[in-house]
Amino acid sequence: MSIIGCESSGFHTLFTKAVYSKGVAESMVEQPILQMKDIRKTFGNVVALNNVSLSLNRKEVHGLLGGNGAGKTTLMNVLYGLYKPDAGDILLDGEKIQIRSPKDAISHKIGMVHQHFLQVDSFSVVENIVLGTPLANNPRLDLAPARKKIGQLAEHFGLEVETEARIEDLSMGIRQRVEILKALYRGVKILILDEPTTNLTPQEVDHLFHSLRAMVNAGMSVAFITHKLREVLSVCDRITVLRQGETVFTLGRSEADEETFVQAMVGEEMDVGDSLIFSRQRGDESQPAPAAAEPQPPTLRVQDVCVLNEAGLPAVDGCTFTAHQGEILGIAGVAGNGQLELAESIMGIRPLAAGEIIINDTPVSTAKTVDLLQDLVTYIPEDRLQDGYLPTATVAQNLILGFHRKPTYNRHGFLKRRAILQASAELISEYNIITQGPNDAAANLSGGNIQRVMIARALSYPSQLLLAHNPTRGLDIPSMEFVYRKLLARKESGQATLLISEDLDELLLMCDRIATLYRGKLVGLLKRADFDKYQIGRMMSGVTNGK
Amino acid sequence: MDEFGGQFVSFAKLVMLALVPYVLASQGTMLSGRTGIFNVAQEGIMLVGASAGFLGAYYSGSLVVGILVAMVVGGLFGLALAYFTTTLKMDQFVIGLALFFVGLGLSTLLFKIAIGVTLQPPLIPTLDAVPVPGLSKIPVLGDILFNQNWLVYLTVLLSALLYYVMYQTSFGLALRAVGENPKAADSLGVNVTLMRYGAAIVGGMLMGVAGAYLPMVYTGTFTEGIVRGRGWLSIALAFFGGWSPHLIFLGSLFFAGVEVLALRVQVGGGVSIPYQFLLMLPYVATILVMMPALKWVRPPAFLGRNYDREKRTSV
Repeated sequence: MSIIGCESSGFHTLFTKAVYSKGVAESMVEQPILQMKDIRKTFGNVVALNNVSLSLNRKEVHGLLGGNGAGKTTLMNVLYGLYKPDAGDILLDGEKIQIRSPKDAISHKIGMVHQHFLQVDSFSVVENIVLGTPLANNPRLDLAPARKKIGQLAEHFGLEVETEARIEDLSMGIRQRVEILKALYRGVKILILDEPTTNLTPQEVDHLFHSLRAMVNAGMSVAFITHKLREVLSVCDRITVLRQGETVFTLGRSEADEETFVQAMVGEEMDVGDSLIFSRQRGDESQPAPAAAEPQPPTLRVQDVCVLNEAGLPAVDGCTFTAHQGEILGIAGVAGNGQLELAESIMGIRPLAAGEIIINDTPVSTAKTVDLLQDLVTYIPEDRLQDGYLPTATVAQNLILGFHRKPTYNRHGFLKRRAILQASAELISEYNIITQGPNDAAANLSGGNIQRVMIARALSYPSQLLLAHNPTRGLDIPSMEFVYRKLLARKESGQATLLISEDLDELLLMCDRIATLYRGKLVGLLKRADFDKYQIGRMMSGVTNGK
Repeated sequence: MDEFGGQFVSFAKLVMLALVPYVLASQGTMLSGRTGIFNVAQEGIMLVGASAGFLGAYYSGSLVVGILVAMVVGGLFGLALAYFTTTLKMDQFVIGLALFFVGLGLSTLLFKIAIGVTLQPPLIPTLDAVPVPGLSKIPVLGDILFNQNWLVYLTVLLSALLYYVMYQTSFGLALRAVGENPKAADSLGVNVTLMRYGAAIVGGMLMGVAGAYLPMVYTGTFTEGIVRGRGWLSIALAFFGGWSPHLIFLGSLFFAGVEVLALRVQVGGGVSIPYQFLLMLPYVATILVMMPALKWVRPPAFLGRNYDREKRTSV
């Protein structure tokens, strides 16, 4: 089945905001199944959606493209009744409808697959799917008809699942199928998918796109939220770009080139033509500069390391690798395959069950985190809210956290306020952290700005090794670009970076070598010249032998 | 029947009698906990249930009226808990403790206002045994199980009913989902707020009845602190019973057994153990039993947490 080159709407108009506000319905050949008009939504002082409009046709996959904070998810949460809009109308088949709760949305045949799956982990697949639907109690709960229906849907759309499996035992790819089946089971006509590819391997992404195409062929409409241009271009019929809570435009896929979409996503302030982040899309292989040809001495050596998780089971199971000076080593893998445990064991947060970790010829297997932070390692933790920052401390305090024992900031156990404030003010301006000032409470920062604090802290202190775990999560595109350039600067100055990321595109762009972690084992190590997205995808799902 | 057999039957009968407040209070805890509302006001609700239930029975002359009054008062406490936590999104633990203190104070206050200070405590009749025709004639078991007051029967039936509703109906599936992942339940059209209010109110009702049972079976009157920690123990029981109706019932049997045993030894004399030590036994048993049990028990994932549909969670 071909997913690229499918039918296009044949009706090509440049939809601008002005056209929308006049009402686009009259100008269309066929009435769109769904229209959202001038939707406005604020959270406190933050305007998340500023009069955004969207129109969804029958039998189309409609991409909602935008960076973090563009308002894509907020808009779809409004459509699904999770958020109450401050203003604006929703029209279904040309008639105005009110959606006050997901229940209303479902009754209007609108379904949504959230980025973070809304599933009850301790329930079985079938229980999760039938939850909230009327079921026969005669007198016991009878799930047999539901199982049969799920089986038929799964077969028709290529979404096979084991109905009796417990959710917590399933992989992310299968859990997503469950999420889609939940919507299909309710007979939705419109399906919203929020960043559906986040935790999928490239093979699973292809499979998903086939399923979406099957749905559209069966008469459904799909709204597909993503920040990945490549994905919308390969599966969507039309694309609406959002930026900072506003609609930029809606275009058919073939009506504009990639450059147009990219520029629409990032806005005026970023030069796309010169960007690192889109260099691969441009086919520019010269960026980033390759690692030095002759082998450099290793900074980090991890030998046969085993780490146990909370349940006492091996989360990292005999990993061996080295990260060299002037190199960015990537660790790929679907979340939950031991990345966190590996990172925390290197940082001295988790004890090793076996093996050895050596940094610069010094064994650090039993070193304390506080000693590692003394010019050896800096760390961007994955879960910034849990492990990264102190919400009730000030921005300045957060910026020096972990380095507050350094003589620069500390004299006989007392913090030097002035030095800290000055250093923080510099970091705030260099890293473009949006805050009222160094003394602002860190809790007042948005997620993206908290991430900038993490990055500023990790990148601004000298270290032999940077351990970055999903460093660009939640950042908008210009900020990602900024982080990537910082990482490359590190590389050029000969320092080592270990980049653990769930974003395969990020790894392919940045890394000199990529190792893949599957169930705590390293299942393959590729050099940049041998990078193959699909091969890494296979390794991410545990397939190691051959193509 | 030999002497040991007689001893056993009377012991078992007392255990069934002591079982009722444990089962009612802990099933109430379980019910609201399964929707995510962690009630910690059991002790206070039971006290106020005992006081209000006693007064209702005293003035109306009917124990059934007393029990209904306790049910309403307990339900109101459950409603308050639901309102403060589900609607106003306040901390469940703090509100629960506050409600405990309200119940504690209110129970003696109600009694003082209505009865005043008397030398002769006012008395109500205690609940009579209602032998089940036929079944109560079964040797040994008949006397233990089918020659009890009607609340004992109700308690057993309630546990069975809760088990059925929880695990064999779509309503039970939705209820459990609310306590595990309210957002998932909400996104599928389950009314989380209604579920939580309902469970908290019904849970409070059960606790109120659990309290009213005490003067109606043991003392015939209300005394300060009559609940004697049974409310707190019911929280432990909910955990011990893995938040499942059937296991909670079995756990209640164990706790009731310890309670009766402690009283037996205390009254039996001949054994020179200080009675304070014996009174402590149920609590020691709690700790000993909880230690291994807590290892495998998985409470509802959203227990004690409020749900706010519009709350933005930064990733």
